Amino acid sequence: MTGITRRSFLGRSGAGIAATATLPALTTGPQQKAAAQQPGPAPRTRIALTVNGETHSLEVEDRWTLVEVLRDHLELTGTRIGCDRGECGACTVLLDGKNIFACSYLAVWADGKAVETVEGLARNGVLDPLQEAFIAHDAPQCGFCTSGQLMSAKALLSEGTEVTEANVREALAGNICRCSNFLNYQAAVARGEPGHPAAADPLRVVGRPTPRLDALERVTGQARYSPDIRLPGMLYARILRSPHPHALIRAIDVQAALDLDGVAAVLTHENCDIDWASGDLANRRMLFNNPVRYYGDAVAAVAATDRHTAEAAAQLIEVDYDTLPFVLDAEEALEPDAVPIQPGGNLAPPFGALRGGGAAVPGPAVYERGDVETGLAESDVVIEDHYVSKHHNNAQMEPRTAVAEWESGKLTIWTPTQGITNCRDDIAAAFGLPNEQVRVICEYMGGGFGNKNQCQDTDLIAAELARRTERPVKLELTRKEDFLSIHGRWPTSQYYRVGAKRDGTLHAIELRGYSGMGPHIKSSGDIAGIDFYQCPNVSKAVHTVHTNVTTSANYRAPSYPQGVFGIASVLDRICDEIDMDPLDFHLKNATRRYRDATPYTSYGLIDCIEQGAEAFDWRNRRRPVEADAGPIKRGTGMAIGAFTARLGLSNAVLRLDDAGTLWLHAGVTDIGTGAKTTLAMIAAEAMEMDLDQVEIVWGDTDRSPYSVGESGSRTTSHTGYAIVEAAEDLKRQLAERGPPGPGEELVAEASPNPSLDGEQRYSFAAHFVELEVDTELGGVQLTKYVAAHDSGRIVNPLTATSQVKGGVIQGIGMALHEELLYDRNTGIPVNPGYYGARIMTHLDTVPIDVVFVETQDAHGPMGAKSIGESTIIPVVGAIANAIFNATGKRIKELPISRDRVIGAMS
Amino acid sequence: MKAFENLSPATLDEAVELLGTARANGEIAYPAGGGSDLLGMVKDELVPAPDRIVDLKRIPGLDSIRSSENGTGIGGLVTVDALADDERIRSRYPVLAEAATAVGTPQIRNTGTIAGNVCQRPWCWYFRQGFACLKRGGDRCYSVTGENQQHAIFGGGPSFIVHPSDIANALVALDAEFQVTGPNGERSVPASDFFVLPRENLQRENVLESEELLIGISLPSAHADRPGAYRKVMDREAWTHAVVSVALTLDMDGALCRDARIVLGGVAPIPWRVPAAEDVLRGRQITAELAQQAADAALEGAQPLAKNGYKVTMARALVRRSVLELSGAA
Repeated sequence: MTGITRRSFLGRSGAGIAATATLPALTTGPQQKAAAQQPGPAPRTRIALTVNGETHSLEVEDRWTLVEVLRDHLELTGTRIGCDRGECGACTVLLDGKNIFACSYLAVWADGKAVETVEGLARNGVLDPLQEAFIAHDAPQCGFCTSGQLMSAKALLSEGTEVTEANVREALAGNICRCSNFLNYQAAVARGEPGHPAAADPLRVVGRPTPRLDALERVTGQARYSPDIRLPGMLYARILRSPHPHALIRAIDVQAALDLDGVAAVLTHENCDIDWASGDLANRRMLFNNPVRYYGDAVAAVAATDRHTAEAAAQLIEVDYDTLPFVLDAEEALEPDAVPIQPGGNLAPPFGALRGGGAAVPGPAVYERGDVETGLAESDVVIEDHYVSKHHNNAQMEPRTAVAEWESGKLTIWTPTQGITNCRDDIAAAFGLPNEQVRVICEYMGGGFGNKNQCQDTDLIAAELARRTERPVKLELTRKEDFLSIHGRWPTSQYYRVGAKRDGTLHAIELRGYSGMGPHIKSSGDIAGIDFYQCPNVSKAVHTVHTNVTTSANYRAPSYPQGVFGIASVLDRICDEIDMDPLDFHLKNATRRYRDATPYTSYGLIDCIEQGAEAFDWRNRRRPVEADAGPIKRGTGMAIGAFTARLGLSNAVLRLDDAGTLWLHAGVTDIGTGAKTTLAMIAAEAMEMDLDQVEIVWGDTDRSPYSVGESGSRTTSHTGYAIVEAAEDLKRQLAERGPPGPGEELVAEASPNPSLDGEQRYSFAAHFVELEVDTELGGVQLTKYVAAHDSGRIVNPLTATSQVKGGVIQGIGMALHEELLYDRNTGIPVNPGYYGARIMTHLDTVPIDVVFVETQDAHGPMGAKSIGESTIIPVVGAIANAIFNATGKRIKELPISRDRVIGAMS
Repeated sequence: MKAFENLSPATLDEAVELLGTARANGEIAYPAGGGSDLLGMVKDELVPAPDRIVDLKRIPGLDSIRSSENGTGIGGLVTVDALADDERIRSRYPVLAEAATAVGTPQIRNTGTIAGNVCQRPWCWYFRQGFACLKRGGDRCYSVTGENQQHAIFGGGPSFIVHPSDIANALVALDAEFQVTGPNGERSVPASDFFVLPRENLQRENVLESEELLIGISLPSAHADRPGAYRKVMDREAWTHAVVSVALTLDMDGALCRDARIVLGGVAPIPWRVPAAEDVLRGRQITAELAQQAADAALEGAQPLAKNGYKVTMARALVRRSVLELSGAA
């Protein structure tokens, strides 16, 4: 009943708790190792568990949690593990009718009780009305949280209380959705209207709001994610991670781990020298590195018969570290006396040079046009300013997991990846195999938002352990590990000098920026946003810098929201200085040609600004700065965005069989965007068929063709383009040969690699927000949000709207409270995880109005451009500007949390 | 998790004995009510790995709420959800019902017990990330020169944790009595004496001795039917502990305040009652000015660290607003 009685152990083993360790270890420190002996058999208990009406008699280990028993022993994998700490809700089940976290409840405690899981919702093949509503409202995006959302909703409805918007939000408060499809979940439970705009000019299939093709699998728990894969004879792996932010490993002793019963293999830097090439473009990066360069760097990996043994074995590894000085901050890392983190020093070469494979000389990425000093001198008003953004976690619901199996020299890996092809190619390169000797399967994955591009070190470690042990190996990261290994948007420090004429014409922008990338350069480190504006004189220099923190990877529009926070804030200051409405400023200065030179293939930015402002009622809502006298102050803000809608090499195969079914092979995994549905719609449209005649084959490098990967908001444009081209071929064949006879089929394959001749292809956005700042409690409450987007023709208004709302809500979290915070004295993050990093919940959401400006892009499939990433770009800037309008105080460091708001007021 | 044995005693005596026997054998044993906080700490190895977990959920009679003329008795195993939903609690002790509603998420409220909530360990991020801090037998409080945004502005030192329980603040405001059982029999501890500062006992947050269990809580009838409110400021809107909270009851005679209880949460290592603020209100007619005076008195003597001075502003506003709102003088 008491959480714990402390004295009982402190009296006995006070010195043993932590006295010898000064730093927290991700797995236990050496002081516990001496006591570790060959453990006896784990205590077990026979229990009667009634699951979905069926009673099971099971012998369970006392330590097994309920979710462990459901997933591993009853094979009910619809209940997911997102954090294993009662922080996310993915494991929610009903216990005697009440929703609980199944990860935080022992199976023995459920003896004699009734458990209901997602698998029990549908009865006799008939979906529960909640499941139907979830499908209709496009509630699941990646679907990893969906089972938990369903069970919490079920608990609410079972209580028989009246369902209101407010109590739905309360009932779902413990169920995080990182795709941030909260509003759709709420509407589905409250039976609200699916809120999406209608397409301006719907075609036969394209432009019609369409529930995703795999929604059924996602609402019934049938969708198989990588953590659900279990193979006969499979071993479980665990990683031992560095407890220091920077240290040299003097010695590793793995003998005690190897001696533990059930341990099959241990990898360390001493016996494994596999390159993780896609883990760093600037330096050589191995799976296990010495020195270790951030808290959480992988030191060793263990494979054992079960995950508890693997965990115990990892703790038996003795590591002798020589700690080194560390540096967390990018600018401090460039000081002359800063400890060098990589052999070439802490300043990395510009990303463009690294990617181009050219001479990689350390230095900033520089862009210039005009003459910025002259431009500033010619300006009537010049603002000089400094902005700081923080490490912001992707926090996708599905932790990284890889299952690897070798068969006759061929490697098969089930892994959550955004790009099965590039994942396969990276793995093949690491093992020196031809591509066809590696098969990557990812049919469902639980979100990534950029950080599951290419292959992960988890893939390679699982594969190497499987190779050495000649058994399948599953490596599951904990939530904390997932936060600490490659993850999150890079922190930045941005120095601006911006000049404008008295009439509001923008005349000069200078940006000097620093991005702290962690020890490895995996992503661009750019600070983007100034290209959204016309300006004759521009100078930009961004330094990507090695630091002893978690390596940043891509997170939704990787370089934009933090850059827009900076530039949109500075420009808002100019508006304030010259007393110009920001709406007029944007209409005057928004980009018309890319970098004032190159025409866009299609252009809807001004329409976004105008239509968004109208939907928001900007002219009436906009008020002077700090118009409210009391402690609660209301304000409005806006910002704009643009994101590339690239074209490039892609591939699609269409097969028309004798039954009239159109088989679409596409190399996508559908990370939650609805790509499978969008692509099938494009195929149906191109073939003038109905959607239910299309079957899609996806997510398996042996069955689906090349794809660039679901990153860069490219899937619709890239793969859609290939589908249209393949369909042209198939229609030609149909016209020539007629429909396939019995046992025959027509096949068309296209591999187009389109390029743009002297044009740039972009999607555009303008966001408008109204909010209230509680200047005494420090809270910021959004009261109205309008997101206007030009993404070309909207293929599926239902899923496209989900993308916009999800991106906006992620942006709100970044603006107001989410951050991975490091203790500066130890170099250790203090808040990895959903609880600590204050990830958005149902109760943090606000209604979002979406406006689509449907330009027709001549290059896209049916006129479509891109959407996923543009949605988060303007959010932080718009909110920061609204806070200024409300309070007259400019907060220049993210997140704009309560402490910073109150601090700014005093 | 390392292997352990789960024991399911049928009586309290048996539970106490099991815990005692384990200790006598040099083993580590923990009692589990709802168990969610315990499992999280065991998984993260914030506490030594248990040999035994003594599950209290099957002990009958501890999961009910009983009302009598003398007050209301709440069994230690009453879930937070049951507490929040109980009509008697909602109508007669609204400050407690509101505090229970403010706890965690539905899933946590459905398994978490009132006793477990009150006795939960700190949620200081250094403690929860496994730093070898004072609370874990280490040699320093990392917050002092570190990230102390969330830490104590009252009663701190040498550790600067804040007490995480919402319910505890309400119980102090209600002058609750805590029933404790252990190897030496039962005893009753007033809520105001139950929680201890780090300078009194660094290793624990309350007076429970080894193998002692908090088995029930009684609410005196003297505090029944007083208007009460619990207001909690969080840094996101669900599933976090209070940045600052206030548990407030007012005994009103028209506009006149006969008596008041004001307890601040999130500001100190224990629920932080502010008698000076209560004195300001007692016997006076509540006005905006008086509420401000009470708020100022409440924060008198606060000693913020480098990064938590904002809590003073926040707590002052929360006290002022809550008093005005609850008294109807707003």
